[in-house]
Amino acid sequence: MDWNNFYDKLLNFGPFLEHSNEIWSGFLATIRLSAMAAVLALVLGTLLAAMRVSPVSVMRATATMYVNTLRNTPLTLILLFCGLGLRDTLGFMAQAAPTVSGYWLAVAGLSAYTAAFVCETLRSGINTVPIGQAEAARSVGLPFSQSLRLVILPQAFRAVIAPLGSVLIAMIKNTSVALVAGYFEATATMKQLFDDVGATVPLFFGFAIGYMILTLPTGLLFGWLAKRMAVTR
Amino acid sequence: MRIRQPRKQQGSVLFDAPGPRARWLNRVLGVVTAIVVLGVVGLFVWQLDRKGQWAWALWEPFTEAKVWQSFILPGLKNTLSAAVVAAALALGFGVIFGFGRLSERRWIRMPCGAAVEFFRAIPVLIMIFFAQAGPPVIADAFNRSIEPISAFEAVVIGLTLYNGSVFVEIFRAGIRAIPAGQAEAGYAIGLRKSAVMLRILLPQAVTTMMPVIVSQVVVLLKDSALGYVIAYEDLLNAGFVQIKSNFNNLIPAAIVITGIYVAINLTVSYLAGWLERRSRRSRKSAAVPLPADASALLATPFSKGPSI
Amino acid sequence: MMDSAPAVKAVAANGNDAPLVELKNVNKYFGSVHVLKDIDLVVRRGEVVVVIGPSGGGKSTLCRTINRLESIDEGTILIDGQPLPIEGKALARLRSEVGMVFQSFNLFAHKTILQNVTLGPTKVLKLSKAQAKEEAMRLLERVGIAHQAEKYPAQLSGGQQQRVAIARALAMHPKVMLFDEPTSALDPEMIKEVLDVMTDLAREGMTMVVVTHEMGFARNAANRIVFIADGQIVEENTPEEFFTNAQSERAKDFLSKILVH
Repeated sequence: MDWNNFYDKLLNFGPFLEHSNEIWSGFLATIRLSAMAAVLALVLGTLLAAMRVSPVSVMRATATMYVNTLRNTPLTLILLFCGLGLRDTLGFMAQAAPTVSGYWLAVAGLSAYTAAFVCETLRSGINTVPIGQAEAARSVGLPFSQSLRLVILPQAFRAVIAPLGSVLIAMIKNTSVALVAGYFEATATMKQLFDDVGATVPLFFGFAIGYMILTLPTGLLFGWLAKRMAVTR
Repeated sequence: MRIRQPRKQQGSVLFDAPGPRARWLNRVLGVVTAIVVLGVVGLFVWQLDRKGQWAWALWEPFTEAKVWQSFILPGLKNTLSAAVVAAALALGFGVIFGFGRLSERRWIRMPCGAAVEFFRAIPVLIMIFFAQAGPPVIADAFNRSIEPISAFEAVVIGLTLYNGSVFVEIFRAGIRAIPAGQAEAGYAIGLRKSAVMLRILLPQAVTTMMPVIVSQVVVLLKDSALGYVIAYEDLLNAGFVQIKSNFNNLIPAAIVITGIYVAINLTVSYLAGWLERRSRRSRKSAAVPLPADASALLATPFSKGPSI
Repeated sequence: MMDSAPAVKAVAANGNDAPLVELKNVNKYFGSVHVLKDIDLVVRRGEVVVVIGPSGGGKSTLCRTINRLESIDEGTILIDGQPLPIEGKALARLRSEVGMVFQSFNLFAHKTILQNVTLGPTKVLKLSKAQAKEEAMRLLERVGIAHQAEKYPAQLSGGQQQRVAIARALAMHPKVMLFDEPTSALDPEMIKEVLDVMTDLAREGMTMVVVTHEMGFARNAANRIVFIADGQIVEENTPEEFFTNAQSERAKDFLSKILVH
């Protein structure tokens, strides 16, 4: 038994620490992608949700089609299409530096995909508000905008926090797929280190813990918020 | 005839029954939306045209049986076989670790819980990478050498660990959704814990869990496309690599492949919805069926949403 | 069908029998189901009209058309001589003048009891916060919930919630109050506390349309009983006449079923 080899492959966090600069910038890239995609997905998802619950049938049909298509397409395909299709074939952002276009194409693909889930989450949040609440608001004489703003949305918002947290966490994990759009983030860094210094157990766990540092507090925060703001019926 | 039921037809939680002005406004908004949507689609179509993507030569391959036989169908077969194998293994994983998490023994419950939380907190892709590159390294640490892990095996391992962990949570929620009275009634007639679990809780839980399990299969099917990254020759690979390199028609290939994925997943989702409706109707379980969308059910502090 | 009997008690006291709510030839369909058939109904100022009848006969729907929570397909509804607006700000304004109490209370779940009562006055009537609060506390006092003003609806019993709902409606100074089966969702021991509040209101001359199964209340507080079955007004009469000497077979049948038990 070669104990040095045993130690190196299973327990030695040395390589992980030696490459901490690359790893740090990898996770920084993950965070930059997550933050931008989260904001855009929230905006687009809200717009889609508004369309999906609107009384205008064309809006509903458009949003439904968008959601059904994006939700049922693999994210890998979408991001790949952003890289190979939008940039390489159709020439979107073809002039930009690869790092810049990689970032924005990853943002576009990830937020377009995540928006479909944000939309469905918001829609089911609105559906948790009993119709009686709206009827009571109308009966008091509140016009549409005020019943929406004062009664329905505040309740829907509270119901939506926890599931929205789940969507956000899933999205953070999904940034790992952005490497197929040519964006170099934490997972791409791990893959490269696997190739360069070997796929050792400490290296894998190092990256796993890195992702957990991003996802676990997010989950705790949203869970805490949801509990704090829950509406008892 | 109950009056309260038909009420749903009228007015939503958001909107009153529309009057003439609201109907007029809705029509205008409808027309505006249609124009915007057609504009966006038109722009895309025009851009494709500018890049010559509508040339028949690029689309023609999809009318040839050969292209389907040598690329698409084998790719589809690989996608489905990875998904089916991973789904079966994940179910087994879910049942075993699910029982583990529900165990009264701390030394069983804790490690099972830790494993499940770990696999759900990290991206599937890093599991797939490690599943492929890790085992030979680990074997080497023990001075052994093993066959390289195939792309198929790596994909299946990654999908199994993640989705299996999701199934554990579904399984727990399914058991918990059964009213306490059912277990109490079991104990009251003298059954032991294992008998209560196997004869009373589990049969009822299966009914309630079916829809959400089936819709998790959609997630699993989509994630199987991650195999592309390690060169697994799945449906995505068939379109974006093989067909494209033969005919240089990425856009048409992407559209066709997307259509296939969406069709399969919509079918499975429909199946999940049908199961949900059916188990809602059936009287074979004391519990309300879990919603087919797993995200709601798993949205607890320590749960990582599986919905995406 | 009987002619509507002239209301006696409160109307005489008020000395004003102008119609406040008028339904003329109202028809409504849910899909192919004809739920309201040629409804003609007049409610005069200060009058208490109790609507009774078998479940599913259209009572609730009728009540809900009066503030247009349900739209109608034919006919007209006048409130205080004005046709019921169809949508928009005008409809909102009208609804603020018509108080509504629901079977399931429908208190705003995310607001305290006090906020439930002050929301309308501050946002619709544009009262100052202090004014609205003072008035709300007076109303909560009146329904006996003042000491719970800072609690949330889910912390109150059903009977208490329903009394708050009445206070919420009264805070808008409505011309007429609609009660849609206000006690049907309550535990038996809580029904009386709600009915007492309603009886007081009736005595004070509030114009009320009450859909209920509480025959005791109908007998004591109503000026007039409207019996609805299968979407039609089958009979209208004073409580005394209706309960002792119902004219239609349908009403006799209904009464034989409920009064026996």
